Amino acid sequence: MDQKNIRNFCIIAHIDHGKSTLADRILEMTETVNPRDMKSQLLDDMDLERERGITIKLNAVQLSYTAKDGQQYIFNLIDTPGHVDFTYEVSRSLAACEGAVLVVDSTQGVQAQTLANTYLALDNDLEIIPVINKVDMNNAQPEHTKHEIEDIIGLDCSEAPEISARTGLNVDQVLEQIVSKIPAPAGDRNAPLQALVFDSFYDPYRGVIALARIREGSVRPGDRIRFMATGAEYEVLECGIRNPKEIKVNELSAGDVGWFAASIKSIQDVRVGDTVTGCANPAKEPLAGYRKLNPMVYCGLYPSDAAKYEDLRDALDKLQLNDASLYYEAETSQALGFGFRCGFLGLLHMDVIQERLEREYNLDLICTAPSVIYHVYMTDGTLLEIDNPARMPDASKIDRVEEPYVKASIMVPDEFIGGVMELCQNKRGIYSSMDVIDAGRNMIIYEMPLSEIIYDFFDRLKSCTKGYASLDYELIGYRKEDLVRMDILLNGETVDALSVIVHRSEAYKRGSGITIALKELIPKQQFEIPVQAAIGGKVIARTNIKSLRKNVLAKCYGGDISRKKKLLEKQKEGKKRMKAVGSVVIPQEAFMSVLSMENDPQK
Amino acid sequence: MIRRNKPQALYLHVPFCASVCSYCDFARTVYTKDNTDAWLNAAETELHQKEINPDLKTIYLGGGTPVCLSEEQLERLLTLIDPYRSSVKEYTCEINPEVMTETKVRLLKDHGVNRVSIGFQTHDPALLKKLGRRHTAEDVFETVKLFRKYGIDNISLDLMYSLPGQTMDSLQQSVETAVRMDVTHLSLYSLTIEENSVFGKTGVSNLDEETEADMYEWICQTLPQYGYEQYEISNFAKDGKQSMHNRVYWEYEDFYGISCGASGKEGNVRYDKPRRLKDYLNDPMQREETVLSKEDERFEAVMMNLRLKEGMSRSRFEKRFGLSFEEAFRNKYEPLAAKGWLEIRDDLIRCTSEGYEVLNSVLSELL
Repeated sequence: MDQKNIRNFCIIAHIDHGKSTLADRILEMTETVNPRDMKSQLLDDMDLERERGITIKLNAVQLSYTAKDGQQYIFNLIDTPGHVDFTYEVSRSLAACEGAVLVVDSTQGVQAQTLANTYLALDNDLEIIPVINKVDMNNAQPEHTKHEIEDIIGLDCSEAPEISARTGLNVDQVLEQIVSKIPAPAGDRNAPLQALVFDSFYDPYRGVIALARIREGSVRPGDRIRFMATGAEYEVLECGIRNPKEIKVNELSAGDVGWFAASIKSIQDVRVGDTVTGCANPAKEPLAGYRKLNPMVYCGLYPSDAAKYEDLRDALDKLQLNDASLYYEAETSQALGFGFRCGFLGLLHMDVIQERLEREYNLDLICTAPSVIYHVYMTDGTLLEIDNPARMPDASKIDRVEEPYVKASIMVPDEFIGGVMELCQNKRGIYSSMDVIDAGRNMIIYEMPLSEIIYDFFDRLKSCTKGYASLDYELIGYRKEDLVRMDILLNGETVDALSVIVHRSEAYKRGSGITIALKELIPKQQFEIPVQAAIGGKVIARTNIKSLRKNVLAKCYGGDISRKKKLLEKQKEGKKRMKAVGSVVIPQEAFMSVLSMENDPQK
Repeated sequence: MIRRNKPQALYLHVPFCASVCSYCDFARTVYTKDNTDAWLNAAETELHQKEINPDLKTIYLGGGTPVCLSEEQLERLLTLIDPYRSSVKEYTCEINPEVMTETKVRLLKDHGVNRVSIGFQTHDPALLKKLGRRHTAEDVFETVKLFRKYGIDNISLDLMYSLPGQTMDSLQQSVETAVRMDVTHLSLYSLTIEENSVFGKTGVSNLDEETEADMYEWICQTLPQYGYEQYEISNFAKDGKQSMHNRVYWEYEDFYGISCGASGKEGNVRYDKPRRLKDYLNDPMQREETVLSKEDERFEAVMMNLRLKEGMSRSRFEKRFGLSFEEAFRNKYEPLAAKGWLEIRDDLIRCTSEGYEVLNSVLSELL
C-alpha cells in the first residue's frame, strides 16, 4: 500500500461519550469484522472492560476503507480509554497517530476529559476531527455542543459530522473526513529503522509481543533489531497487523502500525516508549519517548497465601509489559509478610490492576489502603519520600511533613455548585476560582490534597451531582501540613499494614471511624480483641470485638444437608481473602477501612 | 459408582398449611380440599411405585402441617403408610395445636403414631402473632392433655428464641411453661431468617448476637436441671427419649424422602423431590439426584455427627469409609484439637464444650 493512502488515528473522548461504539460502527462499515463475529465494544477484549463498560487498554486495529474518491485506504485505528487514570494509555496512542477523532456527546457537551484529551492531542501536533455524537437522542443539543467546542477548545466545528454511533447515522462522513483531513504519515521507508514501541504484552508461546509505530525505515522477519534504551538485540521472527485478529505480514514499513515477535523471554528488555532500530543500519538517535508518568497512588499488594509470592512477582512482571504505568517494588510487612509496594495512576487504575492480577493470574490478594507519597523532612535536613504510612519515622525526628496537592478542575451545572463546593471544603480543598463556561455550566477549581481525592472523591462527586459533574486533576506540588501517623493496634499489637497518615485535626474523628469500622469487619474470634487507634503510642480511640460465643446452625435435618453445607462452603470461600495477623484473622476489606471517615454514610 | 442402600427411616412431607408462618420457607401450599385430594393420589402412586423397605424402624410425618388435612384425608394418608409400619419403633407426627380434633388424635393412635412433636414456639401471644401462629399456650396445653388421654405420651415441644422483640424474661417464662407440661422432649431453635420466608422478605432480623448467646447459654444450663439432657445442638430429652428418627439424620444414615418438598438419601445418592406441588402432581416419581463423592460423604457425616453432643463413633466412620477420621482430616483435625475445639475420647470424636458452641467454625475448618 502506498504510504499516502495510510491514515493513523485514534478516537478520544470523555468517558461514556461513545468512543467504543463509534469504533464498532467503523469496524462494521469497513467490513473489517464479519457481521457474525460482531459484538458491541468489540475492541474492549478484556472481560473486565466489557463488564464495567469502560475501555482500560488502548487497542490498535487495521482496517481497509474504500473512499468516495474510489481509492483504497488503510486505517490504523487506536481505541483509547476515557478515564483520567488511563491518560497514559491515551498519550501513548497519540504518539502513534497523525490525527484524532474527538467524540463529544451532544447530550452532555464538553467534559473534563474532553478537554484533557484534546490538549494531549494538540501537544502531539495531531489533526483533530470533532464529531458530535448521540444526535438521535431526544435531549441532544448538537448546535450547542458545537458552540461549546468552538468556545472552550477553539476547534472549528463548521464541518463537524453530527452522528449517532449507535445507529450508524453519518458515520460515513467521519470516514471521509479521516481521509480528507488527517495527513498521511511521513517517514522514509529506506531510512534506518526507527519504531516507537507503544504497547506490549506477554504471550506464553512467543514471548513478549511489541506493538509499534514504524516512523522510519522498515522491519521484516529475519532482521536483527536493537531496543535502543535497553540495548537488547533480537531477531524478528514474525511481524503483522491486527484487524483485530492477528494477521502476519512480510514487512512493516514507515507509516505502519503493527506488532512483532522476536522470541523475547526477558521481559525487562522491552520498554514502552523505547525505539527499536536495525542492527545492520542503526538510526543515530532514538525517537522522543513518552513523558514518564509518576504514580500518584501506592498500596501494598500481598498474596493471601504466602507461598504465592513468586507467582505474584511473575504476574506483576508480565502485567507491567501491558501496563507501562504500573510500578512495583518488593516490600515486607510484619503483618502481611512478603509482598510489593505498587504505584498506580489513580484509584480506578489500582482497582483494575488488582482485579486483573486476580483474574488473569488466578491470585488471591490482600491490598492495603492506598496512600500518596509524603515528603518528610527530618530534623537533620534529609528528605524522605514515604509511600507507605508504616515507614513514617518517629515524630521526634521529623521537622515537617509535606503532602502532594492537586489542582482539581470540576465541570458542573449550576444547580450542583453548592454540593460540589461543600464536598471540596470537606476534603480540605482550597477554593481557587469559578468560571462560567457557558450558559448553566461552570468550571470550579480547587486546590486539594491528593490524599483526599484518591479514595472516594469520584463516587461522592457523582452522587452529589447525579453524575453531571466531571473531574480532571493535575499535581501542582507539595505543601506543608500537620500530618501524623496513626497506628492501629489489634489485640495490643500494632498492625503495620493498617497504619495511616492523617491530618492532626481529623485524627480523633478518623481514629474512631476506623476502630468502629474494624469492629464491624473483623470476624469475632475465640477471644475478645481490643481495637485501638494510637498516635505516637498514645491511644486516641478504642473499641472491642467481642469474642465469638455462638456460631451454630439451629436446625439441620435430613433435608437441610446440602443447603447447610453450601453455607459453610461460602464461609470458607470468604476466608480465602483473609489474612491471619498474629492471632487475629483480618479480612481484605479491613485494610481498606482505614480510609473510612466517621461521617461515612455506609456505616 | 452409585451405591443404593435400603434405608430404615422414612420421612413424608405434607406440603399443606392452614396459614403461613413468618419464619418458614419449607415447601408448603395453603390447604384446600381439592389440591389435598390430588396430592393424596400422587403420594399413593409414589409409595406404591417405590420399593420401600418393609422393615422401617422410624417414620416421620412432617410438613407443612400434616394435621391440617380433614379427618377423612388424614385417615387415608395414615392408611397409605400402614403397610410399612410393622417393625417401626418410633412413628412421629408433627402437630399444630390449632387444627387438632379429638378424632384426629384417635386416628393417629389407631394407625400406630407413638410420638408427636408439637409447635409451641413461645407462650407470648404478641410474639406468636408476629410469627403468624394462630394458637395460644393454652391450646398447646390442651393438645398435650388430649394425646396423653389416648396414650401418646412421647411428646416433644418446639420452642423458639432470638425472636424479634423477645426478652430473656419472656424466653424463661416460655421454657418454664413447657417444663410444667412435663413432656419427654424439647427442641429449642434460635430463629433463622430464611431468605424466602416472610421475615426474610420484610427485613426482620434476629436479636443481637450477644443476647442470642445469653439465651442459648441459659437454655443449655437450665434444661438439665429439669431433667432434660442436651443431646444435640437444639434438642433436649428426658429419660433417654431422644428422637430416634432425627438421630438417623445426625448419624448420617439413609432415609427415604417421600412427597413434594422432601429430601432423601439412599447410599451415595441424595435426592430432592420437587418443591412445587404442581410438579409433584405431574410426576410423583420425579426427583433431582446428586451423587455424593467419597469426600462429600465423609464431610457430611462429620458435619451431622458433630451436632450430637456425644460426637461421632470413629470405628463406625472407619468401617464405613475405609479410613480413619484422623487420616481423612489430616492437617485439619490437629489444629482444631490444639485450639481446644475437638477431642477424642475412646471411640468418640466430639466437640469440646467450647467447640460445640461454635460448631460452624469447627466445620468450616474441616471443610
